[in-house]
Amino acid sequence: MTNQIKVFLSGLAVASIVGCTAKGDNPGLEYAPQMYHSVPYEPLTQIKDESAGNIISNRTDGKGEFYNSNTNNPYAQNVRKPVEGTVRRNPNDILPYRLGKDDIEAAAQIENPFPDTPEIQAEGKRLYDQFCAHCHGANGKADGKVAPVYAGVPSYTAPAQRNLSQGHVYHVITWGIRRMGAHGSQMSSDKRWKIARYVQKLQQQ
Amino acid sequence: MVAQKTILKTLTGFIACCFLVFSPDVSAQREAVPTEAEIIAQGEQLWGEYVCNTCHKVNEKLVGPAMAGVYDRRELDWIYSWVKNSTRLIQSGDEQAVALYEEYNQLQMPSYDLSDDQILAILAYVRDYEENPPVQAAAETSVEGSSSSAEGTIPAQYLNIIIGVLIVILVLILIVLVLIMSVVKKYLQDKKEDLDEADAEVVSESFSLMAFLRSPTVIGIITFLVIALASKNVIDGLYTIGVQQGYAPQQPIAFSHQIHAGQYEIGCEYCHTGVEIGKSANIPSVNICMNCHSAIKTESPEIQKLYAAQESGEPIEWVRVHNLPDLAYFNHSQHVKVGGIECQTCHGEIQEMEVVQQHAPLTMGWCIDCHRNTSVNAKGNGYYDKLVELHNASSTEPMKVADIGGLECSKCHY
Repeated sequence: MTNQIKVFLSGLAVASIVGCTAKGDNPGLEYAPQMYHSVPYEPLTQIKDESAGNIISNRTDGKGEFYNSNTNNPYAQNVRKPVEGTVRRNPNDILPYRLGKDDIEAAAQIENPFPDTPEIQAEGKRLYDQFCAHCHGANGKADGKVAPVYAGVPSYTAPAQRNLSQGHVYHVITWGIRRMGAHGSQMSSDKRWKIARYVQKLQQQ
Repeated sequence: MVAQKTILKTLTGFIACCFLVFSPDVSAQREAVPTEAEIIAQGEQLWGEYVCNTCHKVNEKLVGPAMAGVYDRRELDWIYSWVKNSTRLIQSGDEQAVALYEEYNQLQMPSYDLSDDQILAILAYVRDYEENPPVQAAAETSVEGSSSSAEGTIPAQYLNIIIGVLIVILVLILIVLVLIMSVVKKYLQDKKEDLDEADAEVVSESFSLMAFLRSPTVIGIITFLVIALASKNVIDGLYTIGVQQGYAPQQPIAFSHQIHAGQYEIGCEYCHTGVEIGKSANIPSVNICMNCHSAIKTESPEIQKLYAAQESGEPIEWVRVHNLPDLAYFNHSQHVKVGGIECQTCHGEIQEMEVVQQHAPLTMGWCIDCHRNTSVNAKGNGYYDKLVELHNASSTEPMKVADIGGLECSKCHY
């Protein structure tokens, strides 16, 4: 009898240790949970469950050790948008872009603050491949993998597109045009100007 | 697909007929479109050069209306002024133009510097395409429809059939062998007196499973196997404590990296915008999804969740996959922008993952190993000039991350 209990217990021990392995929805067993979970607000980790980790909790407010949400923010998020009108400091001293979506004619007059050098071209190409090529194609011929599904993607070398100015290209990246969405939130203003330089090269090919 | 096309064709034909019956003035328009091969060729060239096909197809509605029969619907002069400057036509309050503008979600057709003759040539190409549809294109579309479903399934079906047949054959052979054995045994037992002693023993021997299982050799082997397997599992299990490698949680929206990064080759940074400029790579906000999904797969229930989030402003609660312990500091921009490391080095073949899972163990040993073996990407980075100079003075090996403090405790733990 005692033998059977021993076998059963050791089997249980093996099974429980094997269950520690992370798989699917199970993140696995943590070794030192109090050192794993952030005490300050962690921007991309939000734990709303107030009882999370309350067995090992040292907190004085009665909440679980892992609870990590900022109740002062909307939806108790740990991240918050910067105040409206905040200007981001940037190494190239580019002033914030004030033109609205409809000011495209004024935008077309703006000059690119970056010169047309091989370094800027190379950086522009790198960014273009990340942000634009899946629709506009590696050579700007509207032959990216997404273009046939999305439809309405113009080729940069088409007569109507070939002569569009740098300011126009920058404005379109920022605010979008026709079916293209606004990409201003995805990259800083100097990245957009560098992409515009590379697009100019593609227009002229 | 084919059925749809025929319906579309009959419809366009029907509409064209209506126009023919009710407005004899416009019916002449089709006849005004030239059919000379030379002009059609010129039109085809212009159609390609001005990439009309990004917004228009001849027989199907795309971003703009289907082109077939446009010369039945509108006056030629109206078409000319629309193509040259649709904005002016809409602003002038032209009824047809305004209706068209409203019908197509207020999307304006760009202005084109084409002459009347050039536009007519394009119409000639459209008319030719409509009246004599290219055989190749029709064949291609019908093949496309069937091949996509056939390609994946038929070989797999064959494989299953082959395996099934093989199993059946093997089972049959087994049955036949057992039958032969019993027949031979019976035959030999009948003629026992003819055999010598040793052979007779073999024939009459009966096999006892219990005796076999209770023999000390078998018990020893089984005990050894059980203990070996159990201890291997225990040791493996203990090593995974605190390691989330293989964690693949279900997400609130069934987003597939395999489709976005793999099939459509969208760059990682397009969505993970923080990867070059900050500590975290960031989870894209809904407005980035909407750059495409305002128009793509709008009916899918998964995409509908995006619309709901956009409407309510409530954030989507994605489940974080890579949970680096709080005791260690990691910065994406340092590794991706400065170090020039590919995303796949740590995140695995993310472009093939239907559901993202943690590829790397994210243990300290794993970090240190890479810091020992990776050369610093010092090219074109003035920050490293003096370090490289100092390093080269004392070593012939390339400068590794470990050489410039990549193993210091306080680099990551503070």
